[in-house]
Amino acid sequence: MAQAPSQSELQEGQIIAPGHSFGTITDKIGSIVQARRTPKRWWTGFLIGFTLMMLLFLTIGNLLARGIGIWGNNAPVGWGFDIVNFVWWIGIGHAGTLISAILLLLRQRWRTSINRFAEAMTLFAVACAGLYPLFHMGRPWFFYWLLPYPNTMELWPQWRSPLIWDVFAVTTYATVSLLFWFIGLIPDMATLRDRSKWWIGRVFYGILAMGWRGSAVHWHRYETAYLLLAGLATPLVVSVHTVVSFDFAVSIVPGWHVTIFPPYFVAGAIYSGFAMVLTLAIPLRKMYKLEDFITDTHLDYMARIMLTTGLMVAYGYGIELFMAWYSGNVYEKGLIANRLIGPYRWFFYALIACNVVAPQLLWFKKVRYSPWTLFVLSLIVNLGMWLERYVIIVVSLHRDYLPSSWGMYSGTGWDWSMYLGTIGLFFACLFLFIRFLPVISIFEMRTLLPEAHVHTEKEAKP
Amino acid sequence: MSTAPVVEQPNLPRWQSIALLVGAIGIAICLAGLAFETTRVHVFRAWLVGFCLTVGIALGSLVVLMLQYLTGGDWGFILRRPLEAATSTMPLVTLFYLPLALVLSSLYEWADPAKVEADPHLQHKALYLNVPFAWIRAGIYFAIWNLLAFLLNRWSRQQDTARDMAIHKRCEALSAPGMVLYVLTITFASVDWVMSLEPEWFSTMYGAMFGMGQVLSGFAFAVAMLVLLSRRLEVGQLTGGNNLRDLGSLLLAFVMVWAYLSFSQFLLIYSGNLPEEVPWYIYRFEGGWKYLGLMLVIFHFALPFVLLLSTNVKRNRAMLASVALLVLLMRAVDLLWLIVPAFHHNSEAVNPPLGARLIYVAALVGMGGIWFAYFLMQLQRWPLAPAFNPYAEGAVHGAVAGH
Repeated sequence: MAQAPSQSELQEGQIIAPGHSFGTITDKIGSIVQARRTPKRWWTGFLIGFTLMMLLFLTIGNLLARGIGIWGNNAPVGWGFDIVNFVWWIGIGHAGTLISAILLLLRQRWRTSINRFAEAMTLFAVACAGLYPLFHMGRPWFFYWLLPYPNTMELWPQWRSPLIWDVFAVTTYATVSLLFWFIGLIPDMATLRDRSKWWIGRVFYGILAMGWRGSAVHWHRYETAYLLLAGLATPLVVSVHTVVSFDFAVSIVPGWHVTIFPPYFVAGAIYSGFAMVLTLAIPLRKMYKLEDFITDTHLDYMARIMLTTGLMVAYGYGIELFMAWYSGNVYEKGLIANRLIGPYRWFFYALIACNVVAPQLLWFKKVRYSPWTLFVLSLIVNLGMWLERYVIIVVSLHRDYLPSSWGMYSGTGWDWSMYLGTIGLFFACLFLFIRFLPVISIFEMRTLLPEAHVHTEKEAKP
Repeated sequence: MSTAPVVEQPNLPRWQSIALLVGAIGIAICLAGLAFETTRVHVFRAWLVGFCLTVGIALGSLVVLMLQYLTGGDWGFILRRPLEAATSTMPLVTLFYLPLALVLSSLYEWADPAKVEADPHLQHKALYLNVPFAWIRAGIYFAIWNLLAFLLNRWSRQQDTARDMAIHKRCEALSAPGMVLYVLTITFASVDWVMSLEPEWFSTMYGAMFGMGQVLSGFAFAVAMLVLLSRRLEVGQLTGGNNLRDLGSLLLAFVMVWAYLSFSQFLLIYSGNLPEEVPWYIYRFEGGWKYLGLMLVIFHFALPFVLLLSTNVKRNRAMLASVALLVLLMRAVDLLWLIVPAFHHNSEAVNPPLGARLIYVAALVGMGGIWFAYFLMQLQRWPLAPAFNPYAEGAVHGAVAGH
């Protein structure tokens, strides 16, 4: 594969462009945050996100005033857009943890330039996801009833329900992701504090740097804490989406009660997560000219992970079809018939086109090295993963055992405005993050330089 | 590492003759069992268990080999030759399958025309579960597996002499479609050979769980072999430091994935409690089988999991090899637990007579012995360290680091 056409002097397999020094890395990443003028493109992006976020607040206000009847959920489809979008956002969050924890433990050095914003993406995605179950409760101010605490109402959570497991899985996930992200930021906060020319910057970053002085003891404690958190976060990559899959698979609804669901949901989550990382990374590196750091090799690796997890997801679709036929069970066969020729069949065919057919292009090296093709593919996969959840949730619920209780479902305008609103929240947060915090880990990028290779001996130790 | 290391040939022929002798005794007991009406059917079942174990090690090694080509990693350098030797037993494993192909109707309800006649459920499945199609499918599986094993071995040999990175790239290029083919073939093979022993039962997880069991068998076997050989060979110097620890961590990961898949299937079927699914577990909790199931929880998951969390265990050759052998033994127990209770229509399956139990042990030891002898023969044909390999430098570095 050595005949790759490289567009710059950057060689294939290199994860940082040659010619950089400690100083140029710091300047390049730090200057995004410490630029005097905010670029026009930033304002455009942020204002679009901000406007959509206002739409979210409007929806939530209306929802609290009028109740969840403004959504399309009703018998027999009691879970609609809210759970579809919850699972979609949670899935997107998975790439961040995978990159930051598992790739760190596997000593994959290419993770360095993408882990910071992938982790930020995780946090914002989890925040968006959390809104859905919270507001689906109808009276979200009683959310703490989900927690086991002594009370006079004789109220205690139903521990046999995976929905309760979800509360713990998702809150743990959010907490560990936040800690991991923040701890990783500390040394860079100190760098920005020291570089700030304005007192507000010095105070702001100074507080976040928590007194970091870069002494050997600081570094030692830092490395230990970071590795421990990575170890803690690793099971979370698998556990969160496994529990999400249990929400469905523990029931006996045809199309939900499927034993392959746990690994298939995890693979789908990583698939959509990497699609979202590519969706963000490709415009980001263009906008701030970060091609030296987020190289074509990075895009290639991420595309390979997308292809692998995409194949796993395709295996899930296939085995579900085969086993439904093989089982000879009338309800299983009915479900598959409904998927293939029922009223929602176009959702299913679109899902196959987006999630199974289109990503096969990633087998070709040319495609993996073409950023804009990858960008389009990543959008297609994001759409496909949304359709997948729609097919699993709506198509399974709208026709189950009793034909007399069959019905149809479609999202209302408020369902759509809530969905668009969370996309707005996500992008508004992301643009703020880009403007105020370093999008790439400055100090970890420095360790990729040849000058820093004395560190590799140390890295090899546990 | 630009020159081929001078490798002293190990004293493996002795091991090989012992394995061959033990194997021959086991097979002889199985053949004797065929003579009696009461034990004959147990010989067929035991042969199926032994076949699944040996094909699992061979195929699992093939998967680990391809996985290493795809993901890189210095651990692949020291493990390559044991893995390659295990994959080159594929012709023998194919031979092991042949007797099974002839007795399908004694093992599988769907292969017995009288039973199919009486059961509309089996008639529905007859489109897939019928004898000629099962033979054709087995032919396809073995053709694919033998071809993959042959090519990867051949190219690795060529690379030793040609010292050409292009050959390494070719192995990488084969491994990606090879993995896809493996996943597809093992999914259907697991249905054909094991799941359809109970044709009324189905689980979408089964193929993944069965395949993961094979990967675990192959990897545990290769790790155990490497450590046992390291006492004698130059390659032994490379099993120091971080290299051994990486292998231990991978073993831990594979054990965890196997447990994750197995437990997920159990939890979902248990909580669904549907009459068409849950009997599968009920049969496996009857009589003595529940103790075997409990053994799996403890020795296939809990104990290896706890031990492999410790860096000291992973760096200690004897400990790591013991854990790997324990996992390998538990693979045999798992296969017994998956396969034998499937014959629940026959009360002997729940509590087989002593003679029948002996047959199961004899088949496992016999087929395992013959297979191991064949493996050692393959292993001795080439030096234990690949002569030209992009990961050699990293492996040498890893063996020194951490000391």
